[in-house]
Amino acid sequence: MSETCYHCGDDVIGRGYSLGDKPFCCNGCKSVFQLLSENGLNSFYTMEENAGSKPKTSDIHRYDFLDLPAIKERYIDFEDDNSIHVVLFLPAIHCSSCIYLLENIHKVEPKILSCQTNFTERTARIIFLKSSFTLPDLAMLLDRIGYPPNFEEQKKINQSIDKTFLYKIGVAGFAFGSIMLWSFPEYLGMENLDAGIRSFTSYLSFFISIPVLLYSARDYYVSAFKAIRYKQVNIDVPITLGIIALYAQSCYHIFSGSGPGYMDSFAGFIFFLLIGKWFQRKTYRSLSFDRDYTSYFPVAVLRIVDEEEQIVEIEKIEEGDHIMIRNDEIVPCDVILVSDSTQIDYSFVTGESVPVSISKGQLVYAGGRLIGAKTRFQAKSKSERSRLANLWNKSSESSKEKSTSQANWDRLSTYFLIGVIIVAVASAIIWAFIDVNQIVTTVVSVLIVACPCALALSRPFTFGNTMRKLGKNGLYLQNTEVIEEINSVTDIVFDKTGTLTKGSQEKVVFEGAELSSTEWISLLILANSSTHVLSRTIVGWIKNKELKVASNIDLTNYQEILGQGIQGEVNGNLVKIGNAKSMNLAPEDGTFVAIGGKVKGKFLFESELRDGLEAMLSKLNSKYAVHVLSGDSEKDAALMKSAFPEIENCYFKQSPEDKFNYTKNLQSKGKRVMMIGDGLNDSGALAKAEVGIAISEDVFQFSPNSNGILEANHLHRLNSLLETSNFAKTVLRICLGFSILYNLIGLGFAITGNLTPLVAAVLMPISSISIVLISTVFIQFRK
Amino acid sequence: MGIIYLMLVVSLGIALFFLFSFLWATKNGQFDDDYTPSIRILFDDEIIVESEQTNHTEDDGSRKV
Repeated sequence: MSETCYHCGDDVIGRGYSLGDKPFCCNGCKSVFQLLSENGLNSFYTMEENAGSKPKTSDIHRYDFLDLPAIKERYIDFEDDNSIHVVLFLPAIHCSSCIYLLENIHKVEPKILSCQTNFTERTARIIFLKSSFTLPDLAMLLDRIGYPPNFEEQKKINQSIDKTFLYKIGVAGFAFGSIMLWSFPEYLGMENLDAGIRSFTSYLSFFISIPVLLYSARDYYVSAFKAIRYKQVNIDVPITLGIIALYAQSCYHIFSGSGPGYMDSFAGFIFFLLIGKWFQRKTYRSLSFDRDYTSYFPVAVLRIVDEEEQIVEIEKIEEGDHIMIRNDEIVPCDVILVSDSTQIDYSFVTGESVPVSISKGQLVYAGGRLIGAKTRFQAKSKSERSRLANLWNKSSESSKEKSTSQANWDRLSTYFLIGVIIVAVASAIIWAFIDVNQIVTTVVSVLIVACPCALALSRPFTFGNTMRKLGKNGLYLQNTEVIEEINSVTDIVFDKTGTLTKGSQEKVVFEGAELSSTEWISLLILANSSTHVLSRTIVGWIKNKELKVASNIDLTNYQEILGQGIQGEVNGNLVKIGNAKSMNLAPEDGTFVAIGGKVKGKFLFESELRDGLEAMLSKLNSKYAVHVLSGDSEKDAALMKSAFPEIENCYFKQSPEDKFNYTKNLQSKGKRVMMIGDGLNDSGALAKAEVGIAISEDVFQFSPNSNGILEANHLHRLNSLLETSNFAKTVLRICLGFSILYNLIGLGFAITGNLTPLVAAVLMPISSISIVLISTVFIQFRK
Repeated sequence: MGIIYLMLVVSLGIALFFLFSFLWATKNGQFDDDYTPSIRILFDDEIIVESEQTNHTEDDGSRKV
C-alpha cells in the first residue's frame, strides 16, 4: 500500500513531497509541518496520527476586506490600546490535536497573546497585539495552517447563551436540598420532638422557598397566564395551579403552627421540572439550522471605480457596478459577465458539481462559485434582490403553522385540567356529607397531587433522549419538536441531485484512446497536484485501477491555468488536463487529456447513486408515499427507474419554485411532508415542508435552512432513524401511563384526606425519577 | 438542644456558600464549554517540556526530533 501523508493522512502518490523520512501529499501539508516543527509544536503529530487539515492554497488578498473599518468592527469583540480580542469560527477544528495547535499558536506568531478554543462550538477566542499585526494577517495565518476562519457565519456565534436558566436550577436545587435536610426529622416521625426547632425550621423553609416561587418558577406562571389570556390551556396551567395550591397550603401550615407544610415537595417539584426543561433544551450549538442567504455570500466584494479596485461591503453594491471576483469566490448578486469567459460551479445552488462555462454577456446567478482567473462582472441587481435571495425570502415567508403535535399536547392538558376539577369538586361534595371542615384540605390536596409533574417530565425526557440518540447516528435535529413532526409525516420527498446521488464523487466515464498504464500514472500524478473538484474525482477514479506507482516519477513545471486546466511534465513528458479551450478544440463538454501534445480522450462525469439506497427506499415506500424531484433533465430517468422501480412519483426538470409548489400541493391534500434535499434550490421546499432535512457531506459546511441536518453517509439508514423517532411515541405512551398511575395513587391519598407532607415528599421524587429512568432506559438501550 | 439551632444556621450557611459558588461559576463561563478543558488539561506537561526544549536547543537546534 502506498504511503500516507504525515500531516493530513491522504495517500501519497508518486514521489510526493518528503522531508527527512516523512512523506507529504502536497506542498501545503509540508509547509505546515515545517512551520510547526520550527516552532516546537511537534507534539501535534504525536497526539493523534495524521491530524492535520489539508491547507488550500488561497489568494493572499483573500482576507483584505477585514481591514475595512465597518467590517472589522463586526468581528472585534473588544479592543484596547494594545490588543484586540476576536472570536473566530473555525469549522476545520476536529480533534484534540487541533486544540493543541491552535492554543499554542503564539509560538508560531509571537504577536498572538492567547488563543482559547471551544471545541463544541468550533470557535477560538484570540487575543493579539495591535502593533504590526492585523486581523487579515491573523486570518491568513490560520488559513495557512489549515484552519480558514469562516466570517460569513460569524454573526450567530456572538450571541451568548442564556445563563439565567442555570441560575434558576441552582436556586431551586439549593432550596430543595436545604429544606429536605431539616425536614428529615419529619420523615422519621419525630415531629413532636421539640416545638421550638420545628417552628424555626418551618420559617427557614418559608424564607428559602420565596426565591423558588418568585424566581425559579416564573416561566410557568408567565406561560400559563399567556395561555389563559388567549383562552387556551397548556400543560403549564395545571402546573401553575398545583404550584400555587402547594405553596398556599404550606404557608397555611407554617403560619398556623401546624408543621412545615410541603415546602420540600414544592422546591423539589420545581427543581425536577427545570431539569426536564434543561434536558430538552439541548441544541447542537456548532451547527446552524436557520442560516439565511447572507451567511452564504461573501462579506465584502471588490468594486471597480474609475478602473481602480476597492473593497466594499456587499450591501453597497448597486445595480450597474462593476465588480471583480477571484477564483473560488461566491458570486454575490445576479451579474453579467464582462470578461471574455469563465466557469461557474453552481454546486451549492443546484447540487450539480460540474462547472458551467459562461461566455461574455451571459447572466450569472448569485450563489455560483467562480472557478478560474479573476473575472470582471457587472451587477444586475442588489444582492438582496438576487434570484437566490428572492427564493429564500419567499420560503421564509411561508412559515409553518403551529405544529399539530403541540396542539395535541395542549388538548391533553385541557382534558387533564377538566378531570382534576371534576375530581376536586366531587371529593368536595363527598366530604360535605362526612366532615365539612375537611373540604378545603381535600380540594387543595387534590390540586397538589394532580399537579402533572411526571406528565410534564415525560415529554422532555423522551424526546430529549431520542434527539441525542439520533444525533449519535448522524441526524442532528434543530429541537425536540421536530421529532413529533417526523412522527406525523405521511409523504417523503427526495431531491435527486446531491441527495440520492453523490454530490462531489461523480461517476467517471473515459472516452478516447486506450491508454497504457504509464500514461494513466502520469495523468494520476498530474491530477493529484490540483485541488480542483474534477481533479480529485479523476484521482479517485484512476486510483481504482490499482496501478503500481513507482516512486521515481517526477512532476516538474506544474502549472494551473485558471479557467482552463492543469499541465506539467511527468518525467519530462508534457501532460495536460483541461477543458476544450485548453486543447484548442471547439467548445464541448468534458475534461480532455493530452499527453505529449496529443489529445488522447476526455472524461465525462455522470451522477452516481449513493450506496445502500435501494433497500432503504423500498422499506420507506411500504410505509410512506415516496416522491423524487429532480432539477435535471430526464437523462437520468432510466437510471432512477431501474434503481427504484417502486417509486412512481418521479419528476424531472423541477425548478426551485416547482419543488416549493409540489410540497404545497401535497399539503393542500392533507399530506404531511418531509422534504430531504441538499442545495439552495431545495430551500423553498425544505422550509415549506413540515420537516425539512438537509443532507450534508460535512455538517459544519453550508447547508440550507432546515429542521435537521443528516450526514450524507447515514442517508441509507434513514429508515431506521425514522423508526427510532417513531419509537419515541411508544415510550411517551408508557411514560404517560406511569404518570397517570402515580396521579391516581396520589388522588387516592388526597380524596381520603391522607395526603400528609410525608406522602407527598415520597411520591413526588419517585414519580419524577422513575419517569426519567423509564424514558432513558427504553431509548438508550434500544439497539 | 440549643446546638441544633447553630447547626441549622451553619448548614444553611454552607449551602448558601455552594449556591453562590455555583452562580459565580456559571456567570464566569464555567459551564459554557464542557469538552475542551478536558482535552486542554492533558497538554500542560507537554508545553512545559516543549518550552524547556526550545530554550535548551537554541544553540543546537539539530538535536530536536
